[in-house]
Amino acid sequence: MKKSRITLFLVAFVSLAFVLTSSVVFAAGEEWWTRAAKPYKGVTIKGISESTPPSKFMQRVLAKKFQEKTGIKVEFEVTSWDMMYDKEIKDMEAGTGIYDFVYIEQDIIYGYLAKNFLVDLTVFMEKHPELVFADLDMDDFTSFINYFKAADTGHLYGFPFEAFLKVYLYRKDLFEDKACTDAFKAKHGRNLTPAKTFEEYSQLAEFFAKWGKDNKMNLWGTTVQAGSHPAAFYEMAETIWPSWGIYNWGINMDNWKATTANGGTLNSDKAKEALKFWVGMLKYAPPEATSSTWDEVAASFAGGRAAQGWVYGENAAWIATDSTRSKVVGNVGVALPPLAPGVLEDAKAGRGYIGYYDGGALGIPHSSKNKEAAFLFLQWVTRKDFQGEFAKAAARIVRTSTFDDPLVKEMDAKVDHYYSLFEKEGYLFAGAPPFPFHPTIREVILPYMLKAISGEITPEAALDGAANDVDAELVRLGYGK
Amino acid sequence: MNSSRTAWALLAPTLIILAFVGLLPFFYVLYVSFFDWNIFSKTGVMSWAGAENFRRLVFDADFLAALKRGIGFTCIAVSIEMVLGLTLAQLLMIRFKGRSIFRALHALPLTVAPIAVGATWRLMTIPGMGPVSYFLQQLGIDYNIGRSASQAFFTTVLMDIWHWTPFVTLTFLAGLSALPRAPFESAMVDGANRWQIFRHISLPMLRPVILTALFLRIMDALRIVDEVWMLTGGGPGTSTRYVGIHLWRIVFPKTDYGYGSAMSVLLLYFTIVLCWLLITAITQSRKGAGT
Repeated sequence: MKKSRITLFLVAFVSLAFVLTSSVVFAAGEEWWTRAAKPYKGVTIKGISESTPPSKFMQRVLAKKFQEKTGIKVEFEVTSWDMMYDKEIKDMEAGTGIYDFVYIEQDIIYGYLAKNFLVDLTVFMEKHPELVFADLDMDDFTSFINYFKAADTGHLYGFPFEAFLKVYLYRKDLFEDKACTDAFKAKHGRNLTPAKTFEEYSQLAEFFAKWGKDNKMNLWGTTVQAGSHPAAFYEMAETIWPSWGIYNWGINMDNWKATTANGGTLNSDKAKEALKFWVGMLKYAPPEATSSTWDEVAASFAGGRAAQGWVYGENAAWIATDSTRSKVVGNVGVALPPLAPGVLEDAKAGRGYIGYYDGGALGIPHSSKNKEAAFLFLQWVTRKDFQGEFAKAAARIVRTSTFDDPLVKEMDAKVDHYYSLFEKEGYLFAGAPPFPFHPTIREVILPYMLKAISGEITPEAALDGAANDVDAELVRLGYGK
Repeated sequence: MNSSRTAWALLAPTLIILAFVGLLPFFYVLYVSFFDWNIFSKTGVMSWAGAENFRRLVFDADFLAALKRGIGFTCIAVSIEMVLGLTLAQLLMIRFKGRSIFRALHALPLTVAPIAVGATWRLMTIPGMGPVSYFLQQLGIDYNIGRSASQAFFTTVLMDIWHWTPFVTLTFLAGLSALPRAPFESAMVDGANRWQIFRHISLPMLRPVILTALFLRIMDALRIVDEVWMLTGGGPGTSTRYVGIHLWRIVFPKTDYGYGSAMSVLLLYFTIVLCWLLITAITQSRKGAGT
């Protein structure tokens, strides 16, 4: 009896001590933000980002908390992807200093580094140790942070705040529906399971499109991100082609050529076959597919209009859990995308990748007039203790510790273990190739792709034309001869 | 002398603003058009290209196709707007109950920003989801501006007509209201019918107003970007990628400033020549009619 009382007392004492210590540390941490921001109190910092779930969360929740804590006002502009780049590139190029922090998508960082648009954060932290939060813990960031480091110096140019995979989503309710499974088995002689190959994907797309039509449902076989927008290029170049084994947009990075005659793969038979497959999926896709960017694809899937599709992971959480916006809550299945033979082996061996590891960071332009205050905000949004809530709201993870957050664990089960897949299989995916000329070459290939989508030209002709133009444009840009 | 100085002094602020927002950018664009300049090139700096950008333009099939599409769009949309605008203006000259309300209501589209017009039309026509596509589908019409090039083209034309016909109507209405009454009264006394009055009195007297409205609309329609960009994004394929959208994509997303500037200069030149040809043709026909 006496022994148990002592044990109880010890447990109570240790718990109390732990709570008190944690509170003191937490309070000290909280106080640090106010203290560090004191010289910048009343300053207004202006930033821009794309209108995505993570950015909206930063704007709605984190920026407000930051303002309350530090007295630094945050004007956070969240706009369309095109407008965001238009505005921030013009601002940084002209050096007008409108923005104190800007969104840097993983694929544009190489262009920004080549143009020296951004402040070297490694040097900045060395110069301003008083502004570096003690619990910043750089080692806790996932490997995604490496995309925002200069290849030669290893210096950091942006704090990642979002990272996610473009995964294969499918409707579990349909894949488990008895009538569906029976009909599928009767037709194809195999069980109705998520696609692992492109042949299986095509069969499923055709089957569900017909199923929707026959049963007078607003259901189609697949999503296709084929709007007249760069989104169409990205789905092809960063999701479909890699899963067919065409990497780096088909550009040979040794001599900067895209044509097969010069060692590229953009107009290779495999690339053409992949484009043909993707364009062919349009006949099984909802009518809005040719007007869809990433947002509409997510909306189509959430509206229950597609049985399967390639969807950016940042949308996975709300599609699977938010019943005010999604009709497929509780019915979302998550898997790796279908692959061509040998691609998975390539990815495991580090010779290739199976899909797109997307995300972005916030960086500070050289033209910013409030670099110190902006730097505090960058650290604020990547604070460890905010990450669970952030990941729950926007399905993005940039810190390894976030995978163990109880909120994430809880969500993981609701999103068919998307977060676990992200943690375990994330290494199979990759960001965009390190092209400083990214937007220019995208704009060369895009019109050909759109013409293939609309049927103006065949996929074969599109890629022959695109590859030739890419070769010529790269020479014009000073790459290769 | 004094009044002349006062006039120049009063004009000075306007001229200075005009120089800064009109002439200076124009000369800068003209200057850039002779350079090769893409900020994402290896050097990122401007390098002298002479007339190379203009030479490339002549052989640029995509640019020429976009220009052709833009001209087609302009011809169809502006012609309909002119006829519809003139008809509506004539009708609005007639006194009827609720005329003022109708005048105010019909001018409402003019108050909407082009980008909002595009967004609204997109919401209405988005394939599979918009009310227009839904109701047409119910009537058995397969309407999908994401897949049908002709449907997308005519939807952009329709949107432009909806947005800008009120402008033409109001311009003509102002013109008609300002016409002297005497010729009309004389014609009526002489027994002319409505068509004859319109054909031989209203139309000739309205010629300056018609020309002004026509030129303004041609210039505007040729450089249309925001509404169409919002509605179709230039698609499907490149079917609604009019020259303004093509130019925008070259200059901004592609950041090919030199080539894009050359394109702008050529488009401006083309617009001026087109307007000059039109005014010459109309003046010649007027002279011909007079002899």
